[in-house]
Amino acid sequence: MATLRDIKLRINGIKNTSKITNAMKMVAAAKLRRAQARVINARPYAHKISSMMSHLVTEEDYALVPLLERRETKNVAVVVLTADRGLCGAFNNNIIKETNRVIDEDLSSIGAKTLLLCVGKKGYDYFKKGDIPLLDKMIGVFSSLDLNTTNLISEVLVSGYLQKKFDKIIFVYNEFKSIIQQKVVSETFLPVSIESANEKESSTKANYIYEPGKKEILEYLLPKHLSAQIWRMLLESNASEQGARMTAMDNATTNAKDLIRSLTITYNKERQAAITKEILEIVSGANALSEN
Amino acid sequence: MAELNLEITSPEKTVFSEIVTSVTIPGTEGSFQVLVNHAPIISTFEIGTIKIVSENSDVQFCATAGGTIEVLNNKILILADAIELIKDIDVDRAKSAKERAEKRISDKENKEIDVERAKAAIKRAENRLILAEMYLKTIS
Repeated sequence: MATLRDIKLRINGIKNTSKITNAMKMVAAAKLRRAQARVINARPYAHKISSMMSHLVTEEDYALVPLLERRETKNVAVVVLTADRGLCGAFNNNIIKETNRVIDEDLSSIGAKTLLLCVGKKGYDYFKKGDIPLLDKMIGVFSSLDLNTTNLISEVLVSGYLQKKFDKIIFVYNEFKSIIQQKVVSETFLPVSIESANEKESSTKANYIYEPGKKEILEYLLPKHLSAQIWRMLLESNASEQGARMTAMDNATTNAKDLIRSLTITYNKERQAAITKEILEIVSGANALSEN
Repeated sequence: MAELNLEITSPEKTVFSEIVTSVTIPGTEGSFQVLVNHAPIISTFEIGTIKIVSENSDVQFCATAGGTIEVLNNKILILADAIELIKDIDVDRAKSAKERAEKRISDKENKEIDVERAKAAIKRAENRLILAEMYLKTIS
């Protein structure tokens, strides 16, 4: 049976924890607001540039620029976007699970070898113990996201792709749906997927004038397209992380409050019982004395 | 009459989305103007000025650092690397960017400096400054 002192200690401990989780929730909420604004501003450009790409590229163009080249998929680079820190619910776990699923089901079925690029410490911590070779790791990029990060990642990926180290690149990341909802997505990054210029538009596919020329435009637009996509995905993941952390910390704070309440009730009952017991002892002691 | 829809997007945000009468673009192979029922075109453009004439024939100028334009079915989509309306140009920032780039070029010791990039930076800054000056004249 826990003594009064033990219960008091536990209550105090939980109170302290709930202060911390509440503070973390506030911090995450503030960061989330900024991250959300950034991702919402970055989305239109990323979507527009990919729709322009789909207008521009037809199947005959695959040989035009090395980055569009289609090769047999033997080696695949999987880019895993996790957070640098934990305490954000299932955020990191979901990514790791999806990555494992992609590797085990999608890739091994076609006999492709996998290389991993871990962005974020949590993914790296997990995968460094496994037996999948790591291409590179990037840790601590989310604390100050800027275009340098994007350039770094796209350099690694593009040069590796052009040197034929890998024939396909897949990104696994959390898409930001809303503050309380994230969706794990695995997306092919290279070769550039042209969404078969979706049926409706392909009928209206126009004969464009290209200035200066299709090849030049592609050479100009492709790197921009790639970095816009990386930038978007990084921002999506960052906003999702803050959202997930906020929700997780909110839950933790609520749980702590519940615990404190039920512990306080136990504490009070216990205290009352102790007092009653004491009074009983005193009264019976007094009675015994007066009877004599 | 068909309407001409213009949308300008940069990596930071959507700058502009309106119905216009004409747009003039500093294309890579020479400046050109887009009017209603323009033939479909995809083109890159250079550092320079984009002139927008809106429906009520207001004229607006934007400074741009290059990008791509697509015209299809009276929809103009401009993806700019950087773009700002003339009244939003930060003169001090452009000046300091120019100075920085000039310093980089004059610094012969350091071999790692990308002269081409520095020159492009100067060009962008000058473009902004010229436009900002033009704007200040028109409002004074």
